[in-house]
Amino acid sequence: MNYQFPTIAETADTLSKRLENLDNKADILRAVELKALYDELRILPNDQKAAFGAEVNALRNSLQEQVESHQENEQALTPIDVTAPFDINSTIEDRPRLLPAEQGSIHPLMTELKSILDIFYRMGFTAVESREIDDDYHMFGALNFHENHPARDDYDTFMTKQTDANGKPFIAPAHTSSMQHRILKGYKNLLENDMPIAAVIPGRVFRNEDLDARHEHTFYQVEGVYVGRGVHVGNLIATLKTFLQEYYQKELEVKTQPFYFPFTEPSFEFALSCPFCDKAGCNICSQSGWIELLGCGMIHPNVLREAGVDPELYTGFAWGFGVERLVMMKYGIEDIRHFESAKLDFLRQFA
Amino acid sequence: MKISYNWIQEYVDFELPPVGELVERIGAQLGAVEEVIDISKKYQGVIISRIVSCRPVEDSDHLNLCFIDDGGVAGDVERNESGHVQVVCGAPNVREGLMVAWLPPGSTVPSSFDKDPFVLGARKLRGYVSNGMIASPQELAIGDSHDGILEIDGDYQPGADFAATFKLNDYVIDIENKMFTHRPDCFGILGVAREIAGIYGHAFTEPDWYEVFTADLSPRGDDLPLRIRNEAVELVPRLMALALRNVAIKASSVWYQTLLSRIGIRPINNIVDATNYYMYLTGQPLHAYDYDKVRALDGSDIATLVARRTAAGEKLTLLNGKEIEPREGAIVIATETQVIGLAGVMGGAETEVDVDTKNIILESATFDMYSIRKTSMVHGLFSEAVTRFNKGQSPYQNDRIVMAASRFMSRESGAEFASDILDEGELRLADGQTTVTNVSVGLDFISERLGYRFEAATAASLLANVGFTVDTSDDDGQEVLHIGVPFWRTDIEIAEDVVEEVGRLYGFDRLPLELPTRMMAPAVTNPMFVLKDQLRNTLSGAGANEVLTYSFVHGKLFDAIGQDKAMAYSLTNALSPDLQYYRQSLTPSLLDKVYANVRAGYGQFALFELGKAHIADSTLLEDGVPVEFEQLSLVFAADPKSAKQYGGAAYYQAQYYLMNLLSQLGIQQQVRLSALNVEGYQDADKAKTTIYHPSRAATVWSGDTIIGEIGEYKSSVRKALKLPEYCAGFELDLHALLQLRQTIKQYKALPKFPKTGQDICLRVPTPTSYQAVYDLVSGMAQDAYGEHALVTVSPLDIFQRDADEAYKQITLRISIASYQRTLTDAEVSKLLDDIANKAAETLQAERV
Repeated sequence: MNYQFPTIAETADTLSKRLENLDNKADILRAVELKALYDELRILPNDQKAAFGAEVNALRNSLQEQVESHQENEQALTPIDVTAPFDINSTIEDRPRLLPAEQGSIHPLMTELKSILDIFYRMGFTAVESREIDDDYHMFGALNFHENHPARDDYDTFMTKQTDANGKPFIAPAHTSSMQHRILKGYKNLLENDMPIAAVIPGRVFRNEDLDARHEHTFYQVEGVYVGRGVHVGNLIATLKTFLQEYYQKELEVKTQPFYFPFTEPSFEFALSCPFCDKAGCNICSQSGWIELLGCGMIHPNVLREAGVDPELYTGFAWGFGVERLVMMKYGIEDIRHFESAKLDFLRQFA
Repeated sequence: MKISYNWIQEYVDFELPPVGELVERIGAQLGAVEEVIDISKKYQGVIISRIVSCRPVEDSDHLNLCFIDDGGVAGDVERNESGHVQVVCGAPNVREGLMVAWLPPGSTVPSSFDKDPFVLGARKLRGYVSNGMIASPQELAIGDSHDGILEIDGDYQPGADFAATFKLNDYVIDIENKMFTHRPDCFGILGVAREIAGIYGHAFTEPDWYEVFTADLSPRGDDLPLRIRNEAVELVPRLMALALRNVAIKASSVWYQTLLSRIGIRPINNIVDATNYYMYLTGQPLHAYDYDKVRALDGSDIATLVARRTAAGEKLTLLNGKEIEPREGAIVIATETQVIGLAGVMGGAETEVDVDTKNIILESATFDMYSIRKTSMVHGLFSEAVTRFNKGQSPYQNDRIVMAASRFMSRESGAEFASDILDEGELRLADGQTTVTNVSVGLDFISERLGYRFEAATAASLLANVGFTVDTSDDDGQEVLHIGVPFWRTDIEIAEDVVEEVGRLYGFDRLPLELPTRMMAPAVTNPMFVLKDQLRNTLSGAGANEVLTYSFVHGKLFDAIGQDKAMAYSLTNALSPDLQYYRQSLTPSLLDKVYANVRAGYGQFALFELGKAHIADSTLLEDGVPVEFEQLSLVFAADPKSAKQYGGAAYYQAQYYLMNLLSQLGIQQQVRLSALNVEGYQDADKAKTTIYHPSRAATVWSGDTIIGEIGEYKSSVRKALKLPEYCAGFELDLHALLQLRQTIKQYKALPKFPKTGQDICLRVPTPTSYQAVYDLVSGMAQDAYGEHALVTVSPLDIFQRDADEAYKQITLRISIASYQRTLTDAEVSKLLDDIANKAAETLQAERV
C-alpha cells in the first residue's frame, strides 16, 4: 500500500522492518510510533482528519494481518507428514484410536427413517432422496398449483436471490411432493411394462415458520407415490394402514378426513387409532384416541398428464408425512429443536 | 368456520343426530372439526323478566330500585306480596315495563363463565337487597355494550327461559378453515347445512329466495340517485348495489343479536348485523355505505360506486382508523373523486354507517381471490370478508343475496327501497338457469377410482341431494352420469371432482380396503442409501455421534471461515440472518457445534453429518436445478485435558477415522493423501479448502480425482468458533465414495506355511514422506514373491532424535507367508538388504 501522508509511509516502513525481528509479533501493534500517529490524528485540522485517519487505520489493519499470518506460520513451524499414520515420536500408548463404540450414535431421525424405508422396501417401494433446492416448476407448476396460488408467494416458502432459466427464484422445498413429477417421469417406462411406479421419497423440507418447541423451519418428510392400472382409494387407505400396522407392530384403526391439496383429488388427512393407548385416550393423542398423521390423496390427473402419464389408463396415490412427530411420540421428546441442535446430551441417549 | 348446531337444524328437513355423532360425520365427510363448544351451560338459569316497578334509590345518582316479574320461576328467592323480586339496577336505560334478562341469585354471569366464574347472590346495595342482577349485553356475552341492560324486544312471557327462547342451548362447531380452501360455499351456514343433509342421505331443500331470484322492491320510496361502474371486470366479475332510504339505525332484535353472538360475531347495529348475518348464511360478504356520505364526497346529486384498480398515490382511511396507501393494482371501491374502500378487505371510515345514517347503499360483489389475498397480505389486514373472498365466492349468487339482505334490512329497520338493483359484470345466470357447468362421467370411471361398484341410482342420488342435477344415459352398455353443477359450486370441473364428491358423500371410510397387488420383482435398492447406512454404522461403531444441522447458515460463519458469500445461494425471505445462506460445505456447521458440547462437559467427541452442500456457480443440472453435493463431514475435538492422551497432531486422529472408514468401504488402498494445495482446485471447489490450516491439511485423492479434504483448522477459524486446540476433521464427497466403494472385499487364501516377520528401520531426510518409504518397501516385498506369498507391510514406529531434526527413522514390519514352502530367515534378510540398498539409492535412506 502506498501511503499519501509521509509520516505514515515512514512509520509503515520502520514497523515492517522491526516486525521481522520481533519474537512476539503482536508487540508491533503496541509500537510507540503507531500510537504517535493516532496522537497526530487528534490535533489535525478537521478537513484532513478523515483521510489521515483512514490511512492510519489501514496501516494498523495491515500490521494486524501480518501478525496473524505470522501466527499461522508459527504453527506451521512443525510441519507434519500428512501421509504418515501417526506423528513422529508417538508411542504405542498415545497413537490415534477410535472413541469407545458405546459412545457412538446414529441420529434418531435417521434411525427412524431407516426403519420406515425398510418396511416400504419390503412392500415393494424404492427409495429416492428429495432435493434441498428446487425450482418453481417442480414445486408448483408440475403439481397443478394455480399461477397465483398463495403458496407461490414468498410468505410461506423460502426463495433464493438466484433465479432459474425462467427468471424465477429457486425454492427451498416446503414438501417432498416436489419430487413427484421426477418420480412419475423417471419411472413411467415401468407402467408400459405393466409394473407399477412405487417409490418413497424421504428428505429435508423447509417452512417459513418461527421456531418453538413444536415448530421447526427444517424437518423431514417421507413422500410416497404409487401409480398403476386401476389403483383406487381403497388401495391408498389399505397401503397406509398396512404400513402403520407394521411400523407399530399392532392392529390399528384408520380414518380419513376430506382435505384439499392442489395435486391430489380427492385429498385426505389420514388418522390412526392411537397406538400408545389403543384409543383409551392419552397425552400423546390429546385424549382423543386418534392421531392425525399424514396428508394423502389420489394423484390429480393434471399431475399425471404433466409427467406424460395418461390419467385415463393409470391412476395412483401419493402421501406425505413428517418424521419428527413419529420420533417425538415414540420417545416422548419434548422439544422439536433438539433434533438439529447437535447436543451430545441429546444424541448420546440414542447410543 | 364456526357453525351453530341449532342454526343448521333450521335449514335441514330432518332431526340432526346428537352433536357428538354429527361432529364425527362432519370430520369424516366434510372436514376436520377443531373444537365443539357447548354454550348452553353459560346461560343456565337466566330468566326473561319484566320490570314491573322502578324508582330511584335515595342518595344515589344512578341506582334504581326495581321489582321484576319472573313468572314466579326462580326458586329460593325473596318475593314481595305480589310475588315480584327486588333488584337494584344502575343502568341508565332501566325503566318500568321493560323486558329484560334477569340473572337470579345462584346463577353465573355468562361473560365470566369461561374465565373466572362469578356466581351471583343476594346482596345489599345502599341498604336495599338486590337479588341477582339485570344483565347487559356484555354480561350476557352477546356484545360489547355495557352502556345499559339488554332490552328484549318481541312477544315473550315473563318467566321464559332465556336460553331456550333464543336457542342458546346450542353447540358451536368449529370446522378448520383450511378444509374449505376450495369450498367457498361452505363458508356459509347454508353450504354446511346442505352438505350435512347430503352426508345423512337427505335431499337439501334450498330456501326459496336462494333457489330462484325474484326482484321484490317493496316498499318502494322515492329514488336516491345511484350509479355503479365496473372498471375492472377481469378482477370483479360482478358488482351489484342498491339504495335504501329512511333506515332507522338501532340495535338488532335480540334474536339476531344472540344468533350472531353464538358464532362469535359482535352485534353492532341492525344494518351491519344484517350484512354479517347474510355473510354467515351464504358465505358472501356484503358492505353497506352511508348513501349521503358517498354522494357528498363527489358534491354531486348522484352517488357513484366504482370498482377499479388503484391509481398511484391514492390514500384511504380504513374502518379501523388507519390511513393506508393501497398497494398498486389493488381493487378498490371509489366514488368519482376518491377511494372509499379496500374492496373485499375492509371498508373506509368516511362512508361508514353510523347512528345518524338515514340512507344506505348495499353492495354485493365478487372479487378476484388472488388479488384479495395479496392486498390482505401486503397490508396485514385479515377479516371475515378476506377469509371468504380469498376462496373465490361464486358470482352467480350475488343477486339472490343482495335481494334477501336488503329485504331483511327493510324489515328490521323500516327502510324503503330507493333504487333498482344495479348489476355490473360479466357473470350472471339466465332466467331459469341454476347450473353453470356440465360434467359427464362414466359410472365405471367412478367405481374404478373408488374401488367400489356403485349403482347409477345411488351415485345420482348422492349428488342430487346436494343440488347437482343428474341425468343418466347408457352409451353402449356404459352407464354415464351427466351432471349439472349448481351455481354456488366453484370446485367441480372434471370427472375426478365428481369421483371425490360421490366418495365423500358415500363415505370414504366405508369403501372396501384392498392392498395393491404386484409382481414379485424386488424393489430396487438405492445405492446411496446403502452407502449412507454403512457410513452411519461404521462411524457410530467408532464412537462418533451423528448430528443434523441446518442447511442454512449465517453470513458471519462464511466470514469466519473465509468462504465467499457470493458463492452461496441466499434466501430473500430468510427468517433471520442466522438462516440466510445455503451452506457451501458441512464442516463449518459442525465446527459451530463443537464449543457448546465442550462447554457441556464433553472432553472428547467426534461429530459427523451426512448432508448436502450447494455452491452458487452457474452450473445447473439438465432439468435446470442446481447441483447438490452429497457430503460426509466428521470433526474430532478434545479439550486440553483429554488431548493429553494423544501424542502429536490432531490431524492424525482425524486421519485414523478416515482410514478406518475407507477400510470399511474396502478402498483404503485406492486412496492417497497429499498436502493440501489450493492451486489444484477449481474455483467452485476452493470453498472446501478455506477452513484448513495450510500446513496441517491434506487433499484426499483417488487417482487424479479429489474426493475430499482432511486437516486441522486455521487459527482464525479456531478463534472465531472457540475450538479447542486439538481439533481436526474431514469432509468427503459421497458420490465419489459411491463410485469407489467395494461391495465385496478383497480376500486372499490363507497360506499353509508359517509366517516369517522381520522389521526394517530406515533413516530418511525429514521431508521424505512416509508414503514414499512405505510404497518402496511394500512394492519390493510384493514384487519379490508375486502371487506366491501373502505379504503385509505395517508401520511400527516413526522416530526422530532431538539432535537430529533433519532426519527421521521409519520402522516397518514385513510379514511374509508363502503358499509353496517354508521361507528361511536368510532369504528374508536378503530381501531386506535389497530394499535397504534401493532405499539408499532413491530416498537417500540409511538402514539403521
